[in-house]
Amino acid sequence: MHHIGILQLTQNLDDAVRGFKAGLSESGVSAEFHYVNADGAVNDLPQLAEKLAHQQAALIFACSTPAAQAAVQLPGTIPVVFTPVFDPVGAGLAKSMDKPGGKATGVAGMVPAAAKTAFIQELLPAAKTIGILYHSADSNALLEVNNFKQAAQTAFTLVDLPIAKPEELSSLPDRLIPELDALFLPIGRIIEENFASVAYYAEAANLPLITSHAPNVPSGALGALVSNHYELGRACAAKAAQILAGAQPGNIPVGIVDNPEIQLNSFAAANLGIELPPALLKKAAEVFE
Amino acid sequence: MLLTPQSVELLAPVGTWDVLEAAVAAGADAVYLGGKRFNMRLHRTDTNFDDEKLAQAVKYAHKHNVRLYVTVNNLISDRELPGMRDYLKLLNEIQPDSLIVQDLAILQLAREMNLTVPLHASVMMNTHNEHAIKALMEYGITRVVANRELTLTQLTLLKERTGIELEYFIHGDMCVAHSGQCYHSGVVFGQSSNRGRCLKPCRWPYQLIDSATGQAMTANDPGPYKLAVKDMCMYSALPQLIQAGVCSFKIEGRMRTADFVSRIVKVYRRAIDRYIADPTGYTFDMDDWQELSDYRSRDFSTCYALGNPGASSIGYTGEREPRFFSQAVKEADVATATSIPVIATSSLEASAARPRPQLAVRVACQESLASALENGATVAYIGGEAFKPHKPWSLIDLQAAVSLADKYQAKVVVTTPRITMEREIGESEQFLKSLETIKPHGLMVSNSGMLRLAHQTVTIPIQTDFSLNLFNHLTATWLKNNGAVKATLSLEATYEQIAELAKNSPLSLEMIVHGGIEAMVLDHCVPSAVLEGTAAYPCHHLCTDKHYSLMDSAGERHDLVIDQYCRNHILFAKDLCLLPHLPALLYAGITHYRIEGQHYTPELVGKITALYRAELDKLTTGKTYTFDKTCLDKLAADSPRPLGIGAFRYRISR
Repeated sequence: MHHIGILQLTQNLDDAVRGFKAGLSESGVSAEFHYVNADGAVNDLPQLAEKLAHQQAALIFACSTPAAQAAVQLPGTIPVVFTPVFDPVGAGLAKSMDKPGGKATGVAGMVPAAAKTAFIQELLPAAKTIGILYHSADSNALLEVNNFKQAAQTAFTLVDLPIAKPEELSSLPDRLIPELDALFLPIGRIIEENFASVAYYAEAANLPLITSHAPNVPSGALGALVSNHYELGRACAAKAAQILAGAQPGNIPVGIVDNPEIQLNSFAAANLGIELPPALLKKAAEVFE
Repeated sequence: MLLTPQSVELLAPVGTWDVLEAAVAAGADAVYLGGKRFNMRLHRTDTNFDDEKLAQAVKYAHKHNVRLYVTVNNLISDRELPGMRDYLKLLNEIQPDSLIVQDLAILQLAREMNLTVPLHASVMMNTHNEHAIKALMEYGITRVVANRELTLTQLTLLKERTGIELEYFIHGDMCVAHSGQCYHSGVVFGQSSNRGRCLKPCRWPYQLIDSATGQAMTANDPGPYKLAVKDMCMYSALPQLIQAGVCSFKIEGRMRTADFVSRIVKVYRRAIDRYIADPTGYTFDMDDWQELSDYRSRDFSTCYALGNPGASSIGYTGEREPRFFSQAVKEADVATATSIPVIATSSLEASAARPRPQLAVRVACQESLASALENGATVAYIGGEAFKPHKPWSLIDLQAAVSLADKYQAKVVVTTPRITMEREIGESEQFLKSLETIKPHGLMVSNSGMLRLAHQTVTIPIQTDFSLNLFNHLTATWLKNNGAVKATLSLEATYEQIAELAKNSPLSLEMIVHGGIEAMVLDHCVPSAVLEGTAAYPCHHLCTDKHYSLMDSAGERHDLVIDQYCRNHILFAKDLCLLPHLPALLYAGITHYRIEGQHYTPELVGKITALYRAELDKLTTGKTYTFDKTCLDKLAADSPRPLGIGAFRYRISR
């Protein structure tokens, strides 16, 4: 019986926890779980990580970048398995993806930009100009923006639409030039939680929205290519099982999203007068109405 | 009142199975949760229970001697009624300890279907007077989740006068506006706070501006989040709360985690048990208070429990807002594409034989009344809230108004305030008696309590205002059975929803088609709180010589109008204007139209009345109809606020 700590930032990521538990049980690991959740309060994470350390956790499963950082910063040698961290190297959790080198490994949650580019091309074959709307103070967003620009610059004309603070979304229409065929929303809390205002203006401008945050699809985005958090959790469980069997986390490569899933919104498509490509509909993990 | 461990119920929110187990283990006496259908927390589908899980949850709770309430607190459209019947049938089979309901249609259905599960009135029913409680009790409501604007003293009074069980929010997230009466999210985003989808415009940053000059009132500005209410926390006033006779102490937060819920339940559990065991020996536990405080999201306030808290209840800086749900947007203007169909007037020809459509106009003063009647209003609404600088209508004014209407062979319908707590109810009881001599042509009421009181008191026709949230025909049936002869449609319903409702309604329906529309109604006085940092008292009558507005980050100006009871009503930035859509509305069967003219000058009231009268008459005399778009431009130029289309941008209100 292993004591395993779970350090959660928000219950939005609980699918990963479910996948993690299922994966461990598939691997025949018997475990007692100690679950703590900061309920969005990033500043509470170090304290919650300490609580897990006090409970003699043999390993901590940390969901989100700040949770993983809090777990890694604990004194001692408790191994950490993380997901869906977008930039494990940039966040200082791994020296490299192949050989993280420290006491942490996991599965990065960012869907490769090339796959997103191909998804947008398939979803909106006529699209030429794509606006990228993101929060410029969000390092994860900036990382995805850079990746996306590199991957998509030959496929589309890209228009940079950074916002410095949330209230700037109120004047979004002033920045939506007529050439735009769609808006791409990289990951990032500010855009994700204020999505309703983005959708409000995008609908008025008849602009499809491609999001990186799955819950925005049922709220009105046309589509998303996203990681499945449950599967990320399962992949993490495999790494955790290796560690519990004696492997060093620093020697276990950080995984990446290999099977992103397609989510589509047919109500949004109907409002935009867009017909969803049958091939995509067939591949989609979920189609919201 | 002698206390026993059964005197007080600690009621915890539950969004997932984990939380259910945690709340039960922490010592909750009861839990409430929502199913996947028809409840107030629909943003997060993972925090609700599917049908099978619901049944399991009921069994689990009962095994642990914990009561379980299911929230069915949504307004429902006609199209959703069959689904609601199925759901109620299922709920009656799995027998939770109550259903927490909002829509009056559920009361009607419960009676029709012989439901045996007790019903609790959701806070979304905005129940705040004894007549409303009595009306609800007749329909099997055994408990009322009281308005958050009520003080403990008022709660005691209500309990003593009715004998109802009272449930009160003691901890968590609050609304700044009266619950069930906030239309901001529904009208602007098509996502209604009355249907579990509030996008929280009250958490936007706003500037307070002087309406006359447009200048921001920046001196001593406490911060941009002028409507952002702190979290309720009654821990410090627990003895008062218990002694007030509130039986159920409700913790807010069906989207919260097991840890969060468990911590709060444990802290209150300890305090309640200590108090009941030894009230006189009870002491405030500093450690528990510290724990609540350490893990708080927003700062705490006792909100209205101990009296109007004014500025002290607002978190102006926004620093502790846990998250936002939207940012301000420009409201849809009159040129925005609507989902109202374009109806060829040829399809209206058959309607030429129908009676002339009624045109009602709500006015604020005698001059406006004369202007409306002169220009073709068939009904005028007077009375109710008087927005400063207008004065309330005196009995003499009302008498004069009735005589004037008689000259035009028009009707004067007297209205009553939307919120009628004990002061307003006391006044109304006397007022309704005096209507016997004034003899207006009708009375319009704005809440179920006033409907009951009116039905028992007056013999003139009674109609209901938009605030009764008429969203389906069964609600209309309920209103009819309780004495109404005419009802006003919800401001959040879209064309499609209105057309279906109109087809099935047993009552004449009136639709508001033009005017200044209220997004929120507040017991909180925004200018007093922002400019003087005070509560309602002492009040320096800042509103007597100045008017104020709230400017949002999209540059939209929301005028604040303040009534004689000091309630603040926040208007949408754009006035509703459906003038171009009258053919479609007639086609949908709407024959009663209303202009909300109380925020206009007498001159403008006259112009708008004449315009609508002329269009309606053209449409119903069978002549070829064309809409002259230039009249819209003239109207826009004359209006104090830009013109918009309300919720009619949307095909359905979600």
